[in-house]
Amino acid sequence: MWVGALLEIVSLSQLPIGAARSWETGPASVAAVSLMAAGPGGPSLLVIAGAYGVALAWIGGWTVHGLRHLNSRLVAGGRREAYSALELSLRHLLALGLDFARAALFTLAAVAVAGRVVPDLQVDAGAFAAVLLLVVAGLALGVDLRMMARSRRTWLAFAASAVVSGLITVWLF
Amino acid sequence: MAVLGRGKAIGLVLRSLLVQGSWNYRTMQGAGLGYALLPVLRSLHRDAGASLKEALSRHSGFFNSHPYLSTVAIAALARMELESIDAVQIERFKVAIVSPLGTLGDRLVWARWRPICALAALWLFLAGAAWWVAVAAFLLLYNALNLGLRIWGLRLGWREGLEVGGALLGSPLRRLPDRLTIPLAVVSGGVLPPLALELGSSTGAGPLSTIAVALALAAVGIWRPAVAGRLAVLGLLVGSLVLVALGHSVW
Repeated sequence: MWVGALLEIVSLSQLPIGAARSWETGPASVAAVSLMAAGPGGPSLLVIAGAYGVALAWIGGWTVHGLRHLNSRLVAGGRREAYSALELSLRHLLALGLDFARAALFTLAAVAVAGRVVPDLQVDAGAFAAVLLLVVAGLALGVDLRMMARSRRTWLAFAASAVVSGLITVWLF
Repeated sequence: MAVLGRGKAIGLVLRSLLVQGSWNYRTMQGAGLGYALLPVLRSLHRDAGASLKEALSRHSGFFNSHPYLSTVAIAALARMELESIDAVQIERFKVAIVSPLGTLGDRLVWARWRPICALAALWLFLAGAAWWVAVAAFLLLYNALNLGLRIWGLRLGWREGLEVGGALLGSPLRRLPDRLTIPLAVVSGGVLPPLALELGSSTGAGPLSTIAVALALAAVGIWRPAVAGRLAVLGLLVGSLVLVALGHSVW
């Protein structure tokens, strides 16, 4: 859950708008979680799994970009004659199938790599990793908010909510 | 007014789920739109010959929208086809509707609803809920809007037809992204302190100082988002390389 939360916070500001090449976080999350689950846990492995997820999300974005070019040939190949209903359906569904195969193969490869790497990882740098996680989460949450909302009123609401939540958290801690 | 029928309406909503299936840089969702409209086009052109091909070619050219709001255009185009609106007007409509559907959907779903749902689920988890409760809450909350928008869009598109652009401008949905800004800020702010305490628990610092540092970092993120965003990703990547390089050592 923590890897998912970390990846979500870091990737929330990557908006999949229009033709933008955004991160592909689905396969990346699966592989990062598999890396985390295969290891002993702890903040060090969380940092490594988070970084693995981010790198995979970036690479995954490129594979989607490649598939979109392939789709251009598949369903918009510049043919003068229009497609028949059956042909259009088959081409559209084939593109879907290719996307499924791409994502499945990418996820399998990433999980396999994670499975080979984790047994060799014996990292115990808890304090360093915890500071790093704190920095990454703090910065990323601020960026997320700025990307989504730009008014001063919003930031004041954010600060007020953070202070109230902080007081309650410290009181309960 | 023509009647769509429950079966066809459900078919259009289900097919709208696949509208991005062959997304490409030339026609974007064009083929997906043609595929979604097929049941309606087939019922209009029963001979399945040249007229169906012509109608399909009309609808599988360039088109793009936010996928959750694509039903607005799909239903409006289905009604136009049933009313035999001429091809030039249909093409003009498609060009005109792309931008409003994209902008509204992106602002509402990607920039408001998804972060609100994700952070609310994270807050649930931090408050002590089981992980599967948090995940289920996210999926339910997020997809309630996803499916709700598709059904609402279908109704609006079918009711308004060619005039759906104006109806969209006057709809309460247009103001919803602005209304969700404060809830987004409240959820983000609410998540930060418990998240900071949880992630920073091994630093050895006290809770107040940990929360204060996290708040200061979030302020940096708000102030300089481009630099802070790169720093966060770079920090994670370089930090993990350092940790891997450290290997078996203990700090």
